[in-house]
Amino acid sequence: MIATHNYFTSSIGKKQIMALTGFGLIGFVLTHLAGNFFILVGPDAFNYYAYKLTSNPLIYVAEAVLAGMFIGHIVLAVLLKLQNMGARPQSYFTKVRTGRGETIASGTMPYTGLILMIFLILHLLNFKFGTEYYTVVDGVKMRDLYKTVIEYFANPLYVAWYVFAMLCLGLHTSHGFQSMFQTWGLNHKKYTPAIQTLSSAYGIFVALGFSGLAIYCYFQN
Amino acid sequence: MSKEITVHLKIWRQKNRQDSGRFEEYTLNGVSQDQSFLEMLDQLNVKLVRDGKEPVAFDSDCREGICGSCSCMINGQAHGPEKETTTCQLHMRSFNDNDTIVIEPWRARAFPVIKDLVVDRSSFDKVIASGGFVSVNTGNAPDASAVLVSKENADKAMDAAACIGCGACVASCPNASAMLFVSAKISHLALLPQGQVEAQKRANSMVKTMDEMGFGNCTNHAECEASCPKGIDLSNIARMNREYFKAKIASEE
Amino acid sequence: MSFDLDSKIPEGPIQEKWTKHKFDSKLVNPANKRKYSVIVVGTGLAGASAAASLAELGYNVKSFCYQDSPRRAHSIAAQGGINANKNYQNDGDSTWRLFYDTVKGGDYRAREANVYRLAEVSGNIIDQCVAQGVPFAREYGGYLTNRSFGGAQVSRTFYAKGQTGQQLLIGAYQSMMRQVGLGKIQMYARREILDIVVIDGKARGVIVRDLVTGDIERHVADAVILASGGYGNVYFLSTNAMGSNVGAAWKAYKKGAGFANPCFTQIHPTCIPQSGDHQAKLTLMSESLRNDGRVWVPKEKGDKRHPNDIPEEERDYYLERIYPAFGNLVPRDVASRQAKFRVDENKGVGNTGVAVYLDFAEAIKRDGRDTIAAKYGNLFEMYQRITDESPYEQPMRIYPAVHYTMGGLWVDYNLQSTIPGLHVLGEANFSDHGANRLGASALMQGLADGYFVIPYTLGHYFGKNEIKKVDTTHPEFQKSEDEVRARTKKFLGINGSRSADEFHRALGKIMWENVGMSRNEQGLKKAISDIQQLRKEFWEDLRVPGTNEELNNELEKAGRVADFLELGELMARDALTREESCGGHFREESQTPENEALRDDEKFAHSAVWEFKGENQEPVRHREELKFEHVPLTQRSYK
Repeated sequence: MIATHNYFTSSIGKKQIMALTGFGLIGFVLTHLAGNFFILVGPDAFNYYAYKLTSNPLIYVAEAVLAGMFIGHIVLAVLLKLQNMGARPQSYFTKVRTGRGETIASGTMPYTGLILMIFLILHLLNFKFGTEYYTVVDGVKMRDLYKTVIEYFANPLYVAWYVFAMLCLGLHTSHGFQSMFQTWGLNHKKYTPAIQTLSSAYGIFVALGFSGLAIYCYFQN
Repeated sequence: MSKEITVHLKIWRQKNRQDSGRFEEYTLNGVSQDQSFLEMLDQLNVKLVRDGKEPVAFDSDCREGICGSCSCMINGQAHGPEKETTTCQLHMRSFNDNDTIVIEPWRARAFPVIKDLVVDRSSFDKVIASGGFVSVNTGNAPDASAVLVSKENADKAMDAAACIGCGACVASCPNASAMLFVSAKISHLALLPQGQVEAQKRANSMVKTMDEMGFGNCTNHAECEASCPKGIDLSNIARMNREYFKAKIASEE
Repeated sequence: MSFDLDSKIPEGPIQEKWTKHKFDSKLVNPANKRKYSVIVVGTGLAGASAAASLAELGYNVKSFCYQDSPRRAHSIAAQGGINANKNYQNDGDSTWRLFYDTVKGGDYRAREANVYRLAEVSGNIIDQCVAQGVPFAREYGGYLTNRSFGGAQVSRTFYAKGQTGQQLLIGAYQSMMRQVGLGKIQMYARREILDIVVIDGKARGVIVRDLVTGDIERHVADAVILASGGYGNVYFLSTNAMGSNVGAAWKAYKKGAGFANPCFTQIHPTCIPQSGDHQAKLTLMSESLRNDGRVWVPKEKGDKRHPNDIPEEERDYYLERIYPAFGNLVPRDVASRQAKFRVDENKGVGNTGVAVYLDFAEAIKRDGRDTIAAKYGNLFEMYQRITDESPYEQPMRIYPAVHYTMGGLWVDYNLQSTIPGLHVLGEANFSDHGANRLGASALMQGLADGYFVIPYTLGHYFGKNEIKKVDTTHPEFQKSEDEVRARTKKFLGINGSRSADEFHRALGKIMWENVGMSRNEQGLKKAISDIQQLRKEFWEDLRVPGTNEELNNELEKAGRVADFLELGELMARDALTREESCGGHFREESQTPENEALRDDEKFAHSAVWEFKGENQEPVRHREELKFEHVPLTQRSYK
């Protein structure tokens, strides 16, 4: 390493950028879920929401930022994982968790992350770049995304995969959310327990929210 | 009160740094449960020497849980199963008759094995040498009471300074990260006015050296905290993260 | 070789001696300091503070320790605290009082001028440590707090939880590592000193073994400092670290350094008793426990009832009974001896009957469990971890154990031994504690020597002497290395049947029984012949597996035990010739009607300094007379 320690290549710097991008993604997931709830209102509402969202020219900026966050998060994750594996060239023959530290969520971060990456690609292919139906709402022609969604979730296997991925998302974010505070140095005797509770609540909420909607769609067929 | 038990030991044997190493198994009878874990290993070694075999090399010195020499991954846990207990303070009453006990050295790139259960932890000294101090020469000091320190901060600094540098944090971390060790020192000194002056410079150089030594990254599992024989907690890592970020914004490098 | 025991105490009133001496000392100009090199053996409080301070001044320092890191030196295990003359508590402390207490506590067998200097610089140590970031305990107002400790009637002890030694050592270690980072100290860890090299009458280097590779290395310097600690491990069971050894000091003795008062050992009263033969070392419980704990045994002999079942009126709080003024806070030697007397009377407690109780029931009742837990929680946990008994529920069992050695290499006021250029600091020297060390004084002495004495006196040595240029090719280095190699070869070649530990255990038993808390002529003579016999067996029946060219714990132990087998004999000889009782040295032939140590100031107001005369030859006893001009010689009384 060169004389000046580069923040962006330092262990802590990388983690903090992970946390920052993670924070952005957590926000995105929440708004995405909020949008999805339009499904419950009805096809027109959902389609109109999607239309409004995608027809705003700022969407390209938002998508670029979002893509940047995803790519940044993933690239750093891979980099950190490789480094961490390199930090222990020979692993233990017996390794038992103390039960007081590592949790299922924290221990599976790379794996849930990997699943989410696969999910993300499929998700984009299935929906954003999926079958395009059209409909007219209030005299405006727009994509009938509602139909694409309902059609997709007609297949129980797809529902199952989706629910599984969303459980991974819940697990991933339930650790990631609180972890982010720690990485940014926001650890406080009084508030940290609350953040940990909030973090778990967030994970459960998004997992149940997305999965619930998928199951709801299944029953619309 | 004291009971004698038999234990089956599966111990990592490695001749030197280059050797690839392997497990060897031993059965030891007549182990008193009042014995400490290391006294049990002493007993094994006496037996091995008597049988003309090579004794198991392990580090230990004070045997009071304060020097930080002893190590050992015992049944997959750093310093064994008891909370806030070093290997030397672990007693055989934590084990039952006919238990199998697997003993491995700390494993990390930055802690190469020297022999059997003995590892080289000089990377910790290098991290301290790069900034884990207050730059004060002998004779510089003003009167001890001239600078007040709040009891709260003095106590927190003490808690961080209780680190014995054993390396259990690195050993138990799934990523072999040294952040608990490094952050304990950064915290200890940053919490005191005497150390605050160069807190940012310290955070910068210690993190840099830590990275160069080949330790892994922190992924906030808290296994280090759970394994630490001195109960050093994660808030220290948070403080280090904060100090480091501040140092990076403030520094002109 | 002439044996020069000139203490070089400066002239003038005792309060001005050190100031005057510093002024009269030669200086080395800053530019020239970097031309000098110093070897420092040991990285405990004395060694680390010396190495750091000397490097800060500009000297080039090479530092050695046998541990894997200098931070692990055994000073780290000191629990209670460190004394200083600050008088922050407004309770009447002063330099004079600390000086007075230390001379008296040492039972008048220490040099007044040295002790006065120690008291004088004690305050600076606290300043220095605070500046380094040592987190001493504080009051809510942010000021430093103190406690009373080890029989002192003023509160002058500074502490950091029950880990004062650790915190002070880490402070010194950090200062030292700063100099390592700056390149002024070269650190050699995992190295054992196997010989001291003396050239033209001056200490010029060491021969060391790299404990990982077995390489024998030569290191040369302009002066050598030994800060290698005490020799309590001669008893096998002690509170010393497993690796603590007398090797470096013993090699210096054999090269002409006088060994002073080797029989002065401190048996600490509050240790966890031995539980069985498997035991490898004993654990100290801080003396601070005696501030709140009450020591007792059953009045009835052989009473095997559970302590909680013994009613108040059937308990003998013997320290409070015998010493109403000091009660449970009598000095260590007194408390230890009284415990031994109780056990000898068959009033000892626990399974083995070799222990007394230290009871916190009353303190818990008075102050509440939380208060007691805040003060001693970590010690109670440690006790419970080892014994599986909770001191909150039942009294602790304690018994004395070997803890510290007041004796050591003789040094003058400049901390220089009888070998010019060989300076000795900390527990390794004999200087300041006389025949008994007071609690919280060891840390003070180690740091005083390292931070505030040696930086001046070493400069004086360099300024006054011409140090000729030599390198490691000098024939003396070759000779030393040859001897070291021959000895190692000998260890490996005996191929007997017993391990070094077995001999060590046997030696420890001889020492504890005959040269322990209570000594008599017959026992000491027996010890000398028993040790000679054991030594003979050692060299015939030792077994060291493995080779030199690897990490070989057994080989290390063999070397250390070989030294102890010689030292033990010298200790017995010293105890035999000191026909008086003083401090920790209790000769049964010399006691008051109340079984207190009875000094013989007419004949023994001196330090005994032993000169090595060759292998298997009787060493010669010299004396340095002690003058007490400021602290009048009185019989110590703690009643």
